[in-house]
Order: sequence, then structure tokens, then C-alpha cells
Amino acid sequence: MALLNIENLSKAFGALTAVNGVTLEVQPGSLYSIIGPNGAGKTTLFNLLTGQLPPTSGRIVFDGQDITGTPAHRIAHLGIARSFQRTNLFPALSLLDNVWVAAFARGRSWRGLAWRRTDRFHEVTERALAALGDVGLSEKAHQLARQISHGEQRQLELALALAAAPRLLLLDEPAAGLSPDETQKMVALVRGLKGRYTIVLIEHKMDIIMGVSDRIAVMHFGSVIAEGTPAEIQRNAEVRRAYLGGMAAG
Amino acid sequence: MSRAWLVIVAAVVLLPVVVRHAIATEIWIFAIFGLGLNLLLGYTGLLSFGQSTFFGSAAYVAGYLLKQYGINVFVVLAIGVVVGAVSAALVGYLCVQRSGLYFIMLTFALNQMFYFIAYQWTSVTGGEDGMPGIGRPAVLGVDFRQPLAYYVFVAALFLVSLWVMKRIVESPLGKILQAIRENEVRALSVGYNAPRLKLLAFVIGGAFSGLAGVLYAMLFGIVPLEAIGFVFSGNVVFATLIGGSGSLYGPVIGSFVFIWLSESVSVVWARWPLLLGVAFVIVVLFFRGGCVEAWARFWSWRAARRARVVPANADGAP
Repeated sequence: MALLNIENLSKAFGALTAVNGVTLEVQPGSLYSIIGPNGAGKTTLFNLLTGQLPPTSGRIVFDGQDITGTPAHRIAHLGIARSFQRTNLFPALSLLDNVWVAAFARGRSWRGLAWRRTDRFHEVTERALAALGDVGLSEKAHQLARQISHGEQRQLELALALAAAPRLLLLDEPAAGLSPDETQKMVALVRGLKGRYTIVLIEHKMDIIMGVSDRIAVMHFGSVIAEGTPAEIQRNAEVRRAYLGGMAAG
Repeated sequence: MSRAWLVIVAAVVLLPVVVRHAIATEIWIFAIFGLGLNLLLGYTGLLSFGQSTFFGSAAYVAGYLLKQYGINVFVVLAIGVVVGAVSAALVGYLCVQRSGLYFIMLTFALNQMFYFIAYQWTSVTGGEDGMPGIGRPAVLGVDFRQPLAYYVFVAALFLVSLWVMKRIVESPLGKILQAIRENEVRALSVGYNAPRLKLLAFVIGGAFSGLAGVLYAMLFGIVPLEAIGFVFSGNVVFATLIGGSGSLYGPVIGSFVFIWLSESVSVVWARWPLLLGVAFVIVVLFFRGGCVEAWARFWSWRAARRARVVPANADGAP
């Protein structure tokens, strides 16, 4: 059974239909990529999945449960975590505190919320440190998030999502704004996560996607115009016309 | 015990020797008030311009109970804390729905509403004349009408309050509130119901304000109308900013500076608020972290200077 089913999902902002009747199915343990040019509605789709925006119509089913219209802070408790395309951290907190806050949110218990010292929450701290370790930032745990480089902030962005021990990981252009070197590092990171998590990845750099994805959906003007394995997508004529050809020409 | 605590305990012991007991007592009362505000202002990033709502409400309720029934001090204090927390829950519930300027204006507007209720309800509050005749009942044979006895009582409650606030800001809640201050959207997305947690901060802050309000009423034997007015709300914001809103101890230092300045300089010079204005401008322009930051910068500056001087001498260079 699929972990995530998106059924005929739409979102309209006035006359603009940003997401138009999208239907997708993500199998547990797979890496599913969504590609498409800027403005294709990829990030809006994520915003619908994570409850930042309510959909206009359609359904989202996560693990057999209809989660359409669930508010953002509850989505996280279901085990869906996301990273953001634009770096979205807690700048004046240390790296460890950034992930610690994300790790604590996942616990279902509020015991000791306002009284126990944070260093007594061993399980949470361990999970936070593990998330920092996963992205290779353990050594900078006590620096502030605003003091590290952009590339490292992108890694921390990913660590925040990992700290929540998610069942579904939504990554919104993890390599946005990275240099070629940093991009390589990020690709290796995402590749390392594959298999451990069910991942939905938004990206518009084709070279990143083709190697790591199990399946790919191509979005264009809010609709999915093609869906299949990387090989199928590369052969698809419509995709070439709408997207790949355009990218090559640009 | 850390150095900060040693300094504070020393201050608690020495203060009544240096200044009048009433002023010394008022400093610690105002510090409790500031601790409550700072959970909102410093940790959650919410500028509440209506803290006197909770302070004043608790002071009136406690004053009324003490006057009419003369009940036990600890019961009155507990009631004051509850009144502060409940009034903060009511006000906070409305305010956390909005953010930024609208939030500030709401706290201010609701403060004004409480002010005018107190102003009009003369049969209970005494309106403009205030609510006089509040006593300090003895506890376990200790006569609190003795200024020093009351000072010791207030100072002890202040130390307990400071310890409780320290626990709160070092708990997960303290971290989560800072995360909300830093980036509310991300806090929501990692799974925190930010409005509800802001409300919790409000309620805790209100409880501290309530405690301070009751102690204030007992200190002066009267609840003046100003105790629920906006100037009072402004003063606590002001004191906290001067002390340093980024730190647990900031409001304590701010209260000391503010009360001491206003009580000692006002006798000599009627235009003393001018000094506060200058202090405020200096803080805003140069020391956003208030006295606490100024202190830290002074020490790092000294350390840097020493580091430069020492190797020069070692070389024997002129």
C-alpha cells in the first residue's frame, strides 16, 4: 500500500490555479521526485501536504488516513517533516538548539515541558545530535545558526526535518543556491538518506534527480504532465518539449 | 551557586543598609514584575504593553480581600497569582490571535479597558483616589508592619520567583518560546501550536505580575489607580530594556536602576524622567542588550586590551 496518496488535489488563488488536479502515489521507502520549471506549483503542492495552505479540492491520504486540511502543527505529529526551499531556521539559536526544538516536538508527551532542564531529556538530545551528525554538522553544534555558511545552513535545514524522525520526508530544493561543490555534497547526503526514509524531493536541477529517484513526476503549470521511472521520463516527448528542451536551450 | 546568584544574594542582604526599606522592597517587587514581562518580551519576542492589567487586577482583588476580611497573607498571595494568571489568559487569548503592531495595540487597548473599569467602579476601587487602608496581617507571629520584616519576606519571594523563572527558561518551554520568537512559521511546521504556547507564556507572565501586584498593594497600603494604568505598563518594559531583555537577570538589573533612579533622583530633581530618556536612547542606539550587554562588552574589551599589551611587554618593545 502506498504511504502517501494525493487524489485530484487542486489549489486556486483567485483566477490562478497553482495546483491543478494532481494525483500521485508514493510507495514506502522510495524516493519520489517532483520536477518542473519555476512556478509549476511544486512548492504549493508541499504547502498543501504540510497544512500551510488548505486545498481548494481533492484529498490527501497519509498511511490510510485522510489528512486533508489538517493544520501545520499537527501534520508534524503525524510524522511528516519538510525542509524549505528558502532557508527557514531559528537564527539566534545554536545548531543543537535548532534541531533539539524540532526533535522535542515529535515526542507526544508534554511532561516536564516548563520545568525539567533540557539536558535531562536524553532521548531527545541524542536524536538531535544524530540528526546533526547525519548532515555532518556535529562539530559546529554550539555555533549559532546565523553564523554558519549558506551551504551549512542548507544542511541544517535538512537536519531540522530529520530530527523529527519522520515517516515521510519532504525536501524542497535542498540544493537551492549551492555552489557545484556544495551541491555534490548535498546529493551525496540525500543519497545516504534514501532507503532510511520515504522521501519526496522537489528539484529543478535534472542531474541531481535522474541518478537518485525511483519515480519522477513532471509538473507544468500546476498539472502533472508525465509520471514514471527516470528512464521513462527521459524518453517522454512531451516532457522534452515542455521542460528538458527549454532547460537545454536556456 | 553561580556568580550571578552570589551577586544577587549579596544585593538582597546589602540593599536595606544602603537605601530606605520601602525602596529596597519596591526594587524586588518590580523585579518580579519584570521577570514576568521578560518571558514575553525577551524570550517570546512579544512586546506586551499591558502588563499592568494583571498587576493592577491582582492588587485590587488582594487589597479588597485584605481590607474586608483580613485573610492570611499566603492565601492572598495565592489568589493574586491566580487573578494575574486568569486575567492574562483572557487578555492573552485575544492578543495572540494577532502579531506585530496589532498585538501591541491590543495589549494596550485592553489595558485601557481595565483602567477605565477601575476608574469608574469607585465603590470598590476608589477610582482616582485609589484603594487605601490595606493592612499587612502578621504571619506566624511575625509583624509585617515592621519594614525590615516585610523586606525580608519580599526578598525571599523574589529569590523563589527568580529560581522558578530560571527553571522555566531552561526547560523545553524556554527553548520553544525562543524558537517561536526567532521564526514562528518554522516553529509551527516542526509541530508547535505557536498561539497556544504564546498564551502559556502570557499566563506565566501574568502570574508573576499578579504576585508583584499583591506585594505592591501591601507595601504601600494602597492601590493607586496608576497601578493599572499604561504608564506603569510602560515602566516595566522600559526597566526591562534598560537592564537587558536578552537575559534572565536583565529585568532584575533594570528594576534596580529604574526604581533607584526614580526614587533617589526625583527628590533632587523634578525633571528626572529626562535622565531615563537619555538612558533609553543610549540603550537603543548602542546596547540593544541593555546593561547586561554593556557589562559583557566591557569585559571582553578589557580582555582584548590585556591580550594586546602582554605580548608587547614580553618582546621588550617600547
